Amino acid sequence: MDKRRQVVGKLKFTSRLALVILLVVILFGLGADLFAFHSPQLPSGPALEGPSRVHWLGTDDLGIDLWAQICQGARISILVGFGVAVLAGIGGGLIGMLAGYYGGCIDRLVMRTIDLMLVLPDLLLMIVLGAFFGPSISNIIIVLSLLSWAAPARIVRSRLISLKQEQRVTAAYSYGAGFWHLTRYHFLPELLPLLMVSNIKLVGKTIVAEASLSFLGLGDPTAKSWGIILNHAINFSGIYFTPYWRWWVLSPLVALTVLIAAIAVLSRDIEKIINTKI
Amino acid sequence: MEETILRVKNLTVIYHGGKEPAVHQVNFALKRGSSLGLIGESGSGKTSIGLAIMGLLTKTATIEGAVYYQGTELGSLSVKERSSFYWRKIAMVFQNSLETLNPVLTVGEQIEECLRRHTTLTRVESKEKVKELLIKVGFDPARGLCYPHQLSGGMRQRVLTAMALSCDPDVLIIDEPTTALDAGAKNEMIQLLAGLHRERKFALVVISHELPVIANLTSRIMVMYKGKIVEEGKTKDVLKAPQHTYTRGLINSSPALNPYRDLWGIPGAREEATTDGCNFFPRCSQRLESCKNIPPRLEDVFMERKVACHRGGIVTLLQGKGISKSYRFKGKTIMACVDCEIAIRAGEVVALIGESGSGKTTLAEIISGVLAPDAGEVFFERERVSGHNASARKNGLQIVFQDPFSALNEHFTVEQAVREPLEILKLGTLVERKALVKQMLKELQLPGEDEDFLMRRCYTLSGGQRQRVALARSLVLEPQLLVADEISSMLDPSTQANMIRMLKGLQNTKGFAMLFITHDLMLARKIADTIYVMRQGRIIQQGPVSGAFSYLTVRDGSRDTLIEK
Repeated sequence: MDKRRQVVGKLKFTSRLALVILLVVILFGLGADLFAFHSPQLPSGPALEGPSRVHWLGTDDLGIDLWAQICQGARISILVGFGVAVLAGIGGGLIGMLAGYYGGCIDRLVMRTIDLMLVLPDLLLMIVLGAFFGPSISNIIIVLSLLSWAAPARIVRSRLISLKQEQRVTAAYSYGAGFWHLTRYHFLPELLPLLMVSNIKLVGKTIVAEASLSFLGLGDPTAKSWGIILNHAINFSGIYFTPYWRWWVLSPLVALTVLIAAIAVLSRDIEKIINTKI
Repeated sequence: MEETILRVKNLTVIYHGGKEPAVHQVNFALKRGSSLGLIGESGSGKTSIGLAIMGLLTKTATIEGAVYYQGTELGSLSVKERSSFYWRKIAMVFQNSLETLNPVLTVGEQIEECLRRHTTLTRVESKEKVKELLIKVGFDPARGLCYPHQLSGGMRQRVLTAMALSCDPDVLIIDEPTTALDAGAKNEMIQLLAGLHRERKFALVVISHELPVIANLTSRIMVMYKGKIVEEGKTKDVLKAPQHTYTRGLINSSPALNPYRDLWGIPGAREEATTDGCNFFPRCSQRLESCKNIPPRLEDVFMERKVACHRGGIVTLLQGKGISKSYRFKGKTIMACVDCEIAIRAGEVVALIGESGSGKTTLAEIISGVLAPDAGEVFFERERVSGHNASARKNGLQIVFQDPFSALNEHFTVEQAVREPLEILKLGTLVERKALVKQMLKELQLPGEDEDFLMRRCYTLSGGQRQRVALARSLVLEPQLLVADEISSMLDPSTQANMIRMLKGLQNTKGFAMLFITHDLMLARKIADTIYVMRQGRIIQQGPVSGAFSYLTVRDGSRDTLIEK
């Protein structure tokens, strides 16, 4: 608890702002139904309306409230972003730990697989896998996780190898400590901050990736993610004939940009704090 | 010349009113011209043997066993018959003190009295003989008219010797010939006795707790503890390589044999000795539970050496055979250890010295099982060391590292750090663990009772404190062997001095063996029993601390640079 307060205390103004933005997005995402006032699925007014007191961000071609859609989209972005970060972070972290701890054959196998993962073009693979598995939120999370475990695994492995050389670990080993004791008391306290930084970065990357997939039409069409909103907006053939199109395109774009920027600023600052010993 | 003139068989002396025998089942035989040293702490029964042979304990003690003089059993003779043997055949120089001589007779008169009682010399002849004897022992005959209190300690010792030699005995027993003498007088006395022994060819028994005296005067030695002989052998061999922990303790306590080393006596008893078991059990550093109940017998361990120990003398705790290790580095092969042989005996401090990069740490890590050797084997208590099998247990082997900053998890509290091995090995309950941690910290002179200190995180401690916490963590498992890898090199001189003294003190009381790795020769010389010198991965020299150092300074010039460092 103390430590967390220390970290927050050391944040710069910009990253505090970023933290607030992130929290607000999470809040809106989780409480989408509370804050939206209108349904994100059903029409609630005339089509293609500009911002007004009733519809804060206007409506789309079917007269569905855009603010409600953005809130709904926040929920999906957060779900996908953090879902992948947790899955890829834990999975990748564990794989990295095993590779670093046991070394030898396992290590070589894991490292070559990671090389392969890093070499493969992400987006292309994502499109292929997305199309292959079919569009649904859980599939997107799984596909994105499969593509992003390599980075945390590499980071964890390299730190673990250097930790293993430390004499306190040698000492603990000489008392008979096994993998679990070492992990619990010696590795995790050192690895978690590293994983945290890498995971926050991953959240940003994943949100963009999900938006890209959805934009390309490979997202879950039933889920109103920001990418899907954009996709709908661009694909609406009459969009350029109305002056309202900019509201329709702008709102998901701004939401996406602000969230990614906030995450990027925050991760950079946290990384700086964690890198110097507290 | 070769016949046995004095034989002591199963001699047991129990003083009236005493429960424990002062001398228990002692056997030895002396030939003409031979010599025997008896050593042991005060109260070990050395003098009682001498007095019993002289038949002076018949009234104050029960004596069992027999003393033979050339086949005649002295105990079976009548008092009158027996008295013809004493002084004429067997004489004793009593421990020097004012009380030994009659204060109202001059020294000349006392020697003359002895002559007149035991020989048939006339008054004139005996006066001549007294003069002759006094000259022989280096005493100015003119001072024969002095009273004992007018003489110095050295002179009285000479008078006592002259008295014992007066009747030309075949066996001479000397009790503490040099105590209370200054260095010069001591040397003269030793010279004198050695000269007389060579000249007269009597059988000599020297009783002393001063090892140099025994070393100079005798060829065989017996070590006594609480009335029992615990070790017997050739004087030179025994002093060089003692086989009983007690003998080693005596030798380590002798400043004359350890001119540079700090002195550490044998630690006192930790518990009462049982009547059945080994006498030395409470103070022994390699005891087993069985030593408590079964008395050890004096048995041959190898040629010319007998030891009374269930474990056959000091055991070899760790044996490294043919250890080799090389590192590949950018296409080059660096030989860190080449065919290293090392042996560490129980309760012994072995220093491994060498320059930086000579392979000391590699060897230490191989010995402790942290690193696997390319070739060779390490045995700890006859069990092969691989991985953590020797260190992941109580009473095993523990290693302490050079860098106290990396050796402790900085996020641990002090208590957590010291408790870690107990937790890993699941030893004791939570309460017991905490008590043990506290006690260990106190022994290492850290405030173990202070809860605030126990809760402090390791990163708030100084280097010296951290190293002590690291030591506490290793010692909490009560190791038999502690491998200390340059543990003091990162500390300032004062902290280093405190730490080393504390560690050596703990080593002495707890009796564990230690492999002390250092590049500091002077330090090694202060605390080690044996040293190994390493250079470029090879052990180039090994031996007892004094011997190895003379080699270093005289024979090999390059080693001097090491000393300079």
